[in-house]
Amino acid sequence: MENRPLEYDYTVAKMFMVTTIVLGIVGMSIGVFIAFELAFPWLNTILGPDLAEYTNFSRLRPLHTDAVAFGFTVSGIFATWFYVGQRVLKVSMAESKFLMFIGKLQFWLYVIGVTAVVISLFMGYTTSKEYAEFEWPIDIAIVVVWVLWGVSIFGLIGIRREKSLYISVWYYIATFLGVAMLYLFNNMEVPTYFASGGIGDVMHSVSMYAGTNDALVQWWYGHNAVAFVFTVPIIAMIYYFLPKESGQAIYSYKLSLLSFWGLMFVYLWAGGHHLLFSTVPDWMQTMGSIFSVVLILPSWGSAINMLLTMKGEWQQVAASPLIKFMVLASTFYMFSTLEGPIQAIKSVNAIAHFTDWIVGHVHDGTLGWVGFMIIAALYHMAPRVFKRELYSKSLMASQFWIQTLGIVLYFTSMWIAGITQGMMWRAHDEFGNLAYSFIDTVDVLHPYYALRGTGGLLYLVGFFMFAYNIYKTMSARPVEESELQNASPMGA
Amino acid sequence: MFHWLEKNPFFFAVGVFVTIAFAGLIEIVPNFAQASRPVIGTTPYSTLELAGRHVYIKNSCNACHSQLIRPFKSETDRYGHYSLSGEYAYDRPFLWGSKRTGPDLMRVGNYRTTEWHENHMKDPQSIVPTTIMPGYPWMFTNKADIDTAYAEQLTIANVFGVPYNKAVPMKDGSTKIVKMGKDLKDAQALALAEAQEVVKNMKDQDVKDAVANGEIPEIVALIAYLNSLK
Amino acid sequence: MDINELAAYGYFFLIVFLVVGSYSYIYHLYTKKKDSSGVDYEHYSNMALDDDIDSTPVKPISDEKEK
Repeated sequence: MENRPLEYDYTVAKMFMVTTIVLGIVGMSIGVFIAFELAFPWLNTILGPDLAEYTNFSRLRPLHTDAVAFGFTVSGIFATWFYVGQRVLKVSMAESKFLMFIGKLQFWLYVIGVTAVVISLFMGYTTSKEYAEFEWPIDIAIVVVWVLWGVSIFGLIGIRREKSLYISVWYYIATFLGVAMLYLFNNMEVPTYFASGGIGDVMHSVSMYAGTNDALVQWWYGHNAVAFVFTVPIIAMIYYFLPKESGQAIYSYKLSLLSFWGLMFVYLWAGGHHLLFSTVPDWMQTMGSIFSVVLILPSWGSAINMLLTMKGEWQQVAASPLIKFMVLASTFYMFSTLEGPIQAIKSVNAIAHFTDWIVGHVHDGTLGWVGFMIIAALYHMAPRVFKRELYSKSLMASQFWIQTLGIVLYFTSMWIAGITQGMMWRAHDEFGNLAYSFIDTVDVLHPYYALRGTGGLLYLVGFFMFAYNIYKTMSARPVEESELQNASPMGA
Repeated sequence: MFHWLEKNPFFFAVGVFVTIAFAGLIEIVPNFAQASRPVIGTTPYSTLELAGRHVYIKNSCNACHSQLIRPFKSETDRYGHYSLSGEYAYDRPFLWGSKRTGPDLMRVGNYRTTEWHENHMKDPQSIVPTTIMPGYPWMFTNKADIDTAYAEQLTIANVFGVPYNKAVPMKDGSTKIVKMGKDLKDAQALALAEAQEVVKNMKDQDVKDAVANGEIPEIVALIAYLNSLK
Repeated sequence: MDINELAAYGYFFLIVFLVVGSYSYIYHLYTKKKDSSGVDYEHYSNMALDDDIDSTPVKPISDEKEK
């Protein structure tokens, strides 16, 4: 040990890479399955009537959203933090036994938490609040995992060699603080077993807020869970991985400063756009709309900064599938941060709300931006943590095109489905009666649901190719340190 | 100017926190007291209805059905009067939903019957041939959790002052009292009495037998809840 | 003046303050180019590019230790 030079220690990063891939497969498989359930309802009882309770769309839907958000994405965030954090702070986790222990503890508690989530959601334990379905014992476990991550972040910062924090670290800190605040306030609940002196189910709890207040807090959370799980930490990743992989410095550090503080300030106001035309006060709805449109500025600030980083180096996009993933990710980021504000405009929202267009919007953000960025991050990390070249470049390229096709099928079908349904709901005939019964608006969606399922399936196939590629990388050709400076080494 | 922040993680974190907490403070706090006041005619859920609400949540009905009628002609034509804030005063959690794969259920109690729900929950295709809603046959055998519903009633009555066993004003000027059991036994008896009312209009013999034996299948609680949505 | 009017004024002045504040910050960043310690902002980008454990930090945590 004494004779070896100091190296970055990726033990914990590797552990979270495994959960990123495993939970990605779980969450996306469930997603594809429930997508096809909407197109072909007989799939609801595919395992027979006795197990129908557990293969039912409604029981699986929270499992899908939570597995991809808190399984795949959060694992990806942790994995990249334990990689990027060390590098930009220029300090190794091997230098602190304490931080190493905290990191491993965080991982194992996380695994236990995920297991508990899967089991409890299958059993039907849910608070019904979207992306906050977990009952109170799991909430407590999640808080502990999160605090441990905070200890890791600030512990590593505490022993850093580089005085200034790199852009990515700002975003990781913001993720930590934002999710902590939102999660705590939204999950304020009273366990009924204890409050009633030991009656009923121990797991059950009741929300501290009622009705409109509950909705307000939930969507303040729900929208910003998207902000601080699907946007902020993913920006953290791209600010590190794109410059590193391409060898180009960020186009403008100053622009990143502006867009960071802009994003921090503006994002939280926009939650009201989930509640347009509901019973929350009008001024709040209007504010939600306006700030959603303002949000384009800081979002595009980051996205343009990314794309301009490639200025004069566009041949790299053609040459490297890894760069392709990241450039398409930032393009999809621009795309969905434009689509979101459009949907937040009141008159558009009147048609779009409650329809599949919203589902489409979420997915071009998550599949295109979040998914692609995490995939690219793991591809970049794999040669460096395993000290081996990436198994296959051509496999990676085909994965890229298959998944891109999947995303395009997904969001185009959902656009058409959403707008069709929204228009049909509000259509009146010449006598002022409703033109369509509800079931008419369901029947018409069948082809789009089938198409969407196909798009999702293509993305899942691509994800399996990704998992296989990473798996084979572990036994590929060993590489020298010097090959790892910028562009990742790839086999044929 | 502010560049020292990036070199001082503590102040940086404080700065980020203040920036992101600001919006929540302005948006959420002022509205809190106002929105939690019930409108006249809104009553707390009875034990059986609450148990039914738990069945609704357990099966994530809110993943496909909203409970929020927006103030558009097309929506009021289809579902009834648009939603008012105070109507949700006893909804913990709220169940507005975010996606209408199926129709809104805010006032489903006005236009659907016990019998309709019974058939529809068992086999939706028998009522609406092209529906994509799956059946929920297990609700006819699983037992509703009355104990937990009662525990929740006790909790919300004690902690949040929900008016159980108190006169609540109704729209026609009269008052109504929603009863809550004195103890668990009492609550179970109350729920059973409610369940007996519901099964009078049901066909399924197994469900009828179960209620006659003092057990309450989930479907009975769920229908009691759906009928209460008006 | 009720609470709504107060909120409206507060809102208006906040917006004015933010607009003035952020534009002057942009002006400041792009005219000064360097932060108070004399490092060009753009040099901080090297933290990602040159990130081996033995590379020299852009701004070491302690000058004495690194020298």
